[in-house]
Amino acid sequence: MDELQELLEDFLIEAFEMIEEMDQDLVELENNPDDLELLNKIFRVAHTVKGSGSFLNFDKLTHLTHHMEAVLDKARKGELKITPDIMDVILSSVDAMKAILEYIRDNGNDSAPDVDVEPIVQKLDAITKGGNTTTKEEKQNTQETKEESGKVGDFNLDEITPDNLDELDLSELSPEDLDKVLDKLVDDMNTAPEESEEDFEEVEENEENNQESSKPEENKENIPVKAQNTAPVKEEKKEISKAEQKKEIKKNIISTKEQTIRVDVRRLDQLMNLIGELVLAKNRLIKIYNDVEERYEGEKFLEELNQVVSSISIVTTDLQIAVMKTRMLPIGKVFNKFPRLVRDLSRDLHKKIKLIISGEDTELDKSIIEEIGDPLVHMIRNAVDHGIETPEERVKNGKPEEGTVWLKAYNEGNMIVIEIKDDGHGMDPEKLKQKAIEKGIITPGEAENISDKEAFMLIFKPGFSTAAKVTNVSGRGVGMDVVKTNIEKLNGIIEVDSIKGKGSTFKLKIPLTLAIIQALLVASQEDLFAIPLSNVIETVRIVEEDIYTIEGKSVLKLRNEVLPLVNMADVFEIEKVLEPEKYLYVVILGLGATKIGLIVDRFIGQEEIVIKSLGEFLKGISGIAGATIRGDGRVTLIVDVGSLMKLAKETHNKKLATDSLNEVKKKKEKPSDYTVMIVDDSAMDRKIMHQALDELGVSVIEAKDGLEALNMLKQNDVDAMLVDIEMPRMDGYTLAQEVRKYNKYRKLPLIAVTSRTTKADRVRGVEVGMNEYITKPYTKEYLQNVIKRNLHI
Amino acid sequence: MANLNDVIKKQQQMISEPEKDTTEDVEQLVGFVVGEEEFAVPILSIQEIIKPIEWTKVPFVPDYVLGVFNLRGNVLPLIDLRKKFSSANSDIDENTRFIVMKIKGEDVAFIIDRLTSALRIPKKNILPPPDTYSNEDEIIDGVGRLDDGRIITILKIDNIIKREDIVPERD
Repeated sequence: MDELQELLEDFLIEAFEMIEEMDQDLVELENNPDDLELLNKIFRVAHTVKGSGSFLNFDKLTHLTHHMEAVLDKARKGELKITPDIMDVILSSVDAMKAILEYIRDNGNDSAPDVDVEPIVQKLDAITKGGNTTTKEEKQNTQETKEESGKVGDFNLDEITPDNLDELDLSELSPEDLDKVLDKLVDDMNTAPEESEEDFEEVEENEENNQESSKPEENKENIPVKAQNTAPVKEEKKEISKAEQKKEIKKNIISTKEQTIRVDVRRLDQLMNLIGELVLAKNRLIKIYNDVEERYEGEKFLEELNQVVSSISIVTTDLQIAVMKTRMLPIGKVFNKFPRLVRDLSRDLHKKIKLIISGEDTELDKSIIEEIGDPLVHMIRNAVDHGIETPEERVKNGKPEEGTVWLKAYNEGNMIVIEIKDDGHGMDPEKLKQKAIEKGIITPGEAENISDKEAFMLIFKPGFSTAAKVTNVSGRGVGMDVVKTNIEKLNGIIEVDSIKGKGSTFKLKIPLTLAIIQALLVASQEDLFAIPLSNVIETVRIVEEDIYTIEGKSVLKLRNEVLPLVNMADVFEIEKVLEPEKYLYVVILGLGATKIGLIVDRFIGQEEIVIKSLGEFLKGISGIAGATIRGDGRVTLIVDVGSLMKLAKETHNKKLATDSLNEVKKKKEKPSDYTVMIVDDSAMDRKIMHQALDELGVSVIEAKDGLEALNMLKQNDVDAMLVDIEMPRMDGYTLAQEVRKYNKYRKLPLIAVTSRTTKADRVRGVEVGMNEYITKPYTKEYLQNVIKRNLHI
Repeated sequence: MANLNDVIKKQQQMISEPEKDTTEDVEQLVGFVVGEEEFAVPILSIQEIIKPIEWTKVPFVPDYVLGVFNLRGNVLPLIDLRKKFSSANSDIDENTRFIVMKIKGEDVAFIIDRLTSALRIPKKNILPPPDTYSNEDEIIDGVGRLDDGRIITILKIDNIIKREDIVPERD
């Protein structure tokens, strides 16, 4: 029973693979009805399904495929010309076959009560019979003309292919004729040896047939004596060389067959997880190496360590790519079904449309391939239905009658781009805006401010439909919305471009994988965030004056676009501690069809990160997709661009980016608004400094050591620190180092006050982040001047 | 020092009758202090106890969820029990610890002020939570009376935090 089950599974996998190809081949066949090779290929599919189906006792399936085979066989032999009408019947029979196979997959038998094969079978039969009568004479004519060159016994030599050998009775042939047949067969085999798995069986079959066909040869040995001397010898030679050739072919086929294995996707996922861990460890190793390098500069072992670290890092990257590749499938798997889709649609809509596919070898992660199918169907339908005009309209506009849809895939950095382009009538931004206002999607005021590009994006809004009449193909106004949601799920971006009268181009940009991603690390106040690089369109540096306010909302004018602008700290409700600087840093985020500008406080850099879940209790927090562990062992949150966009929209509606920038700007006018902290373990030294500062009128607080200073710093608003170096518990250097770890104290003036005067001491001071160095003893005026200079008073 | 005899006696008892002590009649707990009060959790629910390390803040969570931190490659949530139990103190000093516990299959770390000791309390000395706690009975498993007269609140760890309190379902 298990064996049968296995056999059944193999049969189904094989059948579905073949059918997928078949769909495309059939459409191509309609364009080239005389392509014999295509016909043979299609015939073989029907033949194989019939053969395996009957072996597995799928009577309904066998019944159907038997009749399909008959029609295809006729076409193959040139007795039948494939017209679009006949093609419709063939295609519907393929659909029925698919439906039955799907039923078998789900239920294990082919009863498939929803599929009624009888009408199709009758149509197929009609074709077979009809084709027979109309072409009989023609056939005879061709046979007669071919008689001189290609006729062998009762057979036409061209008709004999390795595939139909078993149907022909070759026993009647004369030795010479048989020779010809064999020669031709070997030629055939030689010209098409690369033909995939099922041929392997056929080679075997052929071999058997050849053996059989050589039997009558032996029988005839004793009849004509002359022939006995010549023919069999010749035959033998041929037989040997043929046998060798066949062996060769067989070997090739076997070796290609063994080069692939089927692997459970779960195993690959597991492998991917392990590699994720490895990447994290690698990042950590590099970070440790950098630390070690600083500390032991010039030491010999560093060189060796460097080599090891680099080779581990290279191997890890290669390994990651290799495993990623095992999960990759060519996008052709998805593209394959589109020729059929376009053909059916164009017949339904009475349009003439040519689909040109390129880049079907471009590879994508399996999980993405599975998600991309539906959105693409919508986009193609849209191009065919809304994009391409009717033939009459096209001719009127001076375009070729036949419209063209291009479907193209290619790589661009870490992204794959799928482009759907048509040469139809394009989109009219003004019409789109008008429509959007009618549907209440935008206000007339908003309409004035949106660019053409943004207008095109309106089609992705829920409830938007451009077709004047709703067809069963599209126009329900759900499709494009679904496209957007699906592409956003994959962290993809949609770009639309359209020229009125010339056509439209849709670009879907999708990241190659989902587990390990490239990210841009940014800081908002004290917190770091990782933003998937695939959603970062660009980063810009602006000044506050670049921010405009339109209808009470902050926007950024970037070239010819107007983008909503929000402060990341407002979106995530992060407490603001940093004073705004002269320049603002903005990340332009893109997701699906939406773009926004996000103000951050610092760019940290680009890094490869591994996505980890936040666990049951924290997962699903708005705006956060997960976390990653950085090289220094700290956890950094990964932004979920989709939900961040939603949050940003809410924030954008209620808070001006300019207001939020000014929240932290403190009003400091008189000296007493400033606070200076004195850190010194000697009470006397503190007193001296305190007195000097009192004369300036600034507020003063005192700490006895570094540790106390750190705690006081957190509770007080300090504008400058005077720091002694030698102190118990925590010395001045360590204090400076700790203080500089905080973003908000990056610019806090730290002034060392010490009697250590060597150059090494000063260098050390600079290294840990001291701004100034006052050597004891100092004059009161000198100290006051330094403080004044640092506080700008 | 009067207790010393008790301790020795207890030890002897443990040696002579180890069987009796490990049976279900005794709860093995770990005691710790949060604010002014002493609490305990079953020893088997504790994965490990570590010294405080750096953590990362997480947005949109109640104040007692401090964030997440990295424990040997795993990202764990960090809950401040002091804030959860409305204790004023939020300093981290040399006695502060992170207790990592398994809650509904997930590791979660809790900040506590100070560890006390491992405890063995006979089940008969554990009373259900008093009525005044009835509104909180979900997080209190019972109240244990120690031999020295101390009262310890035993926490029902599965109920200390709830997902719906931490991440409210948004539309």
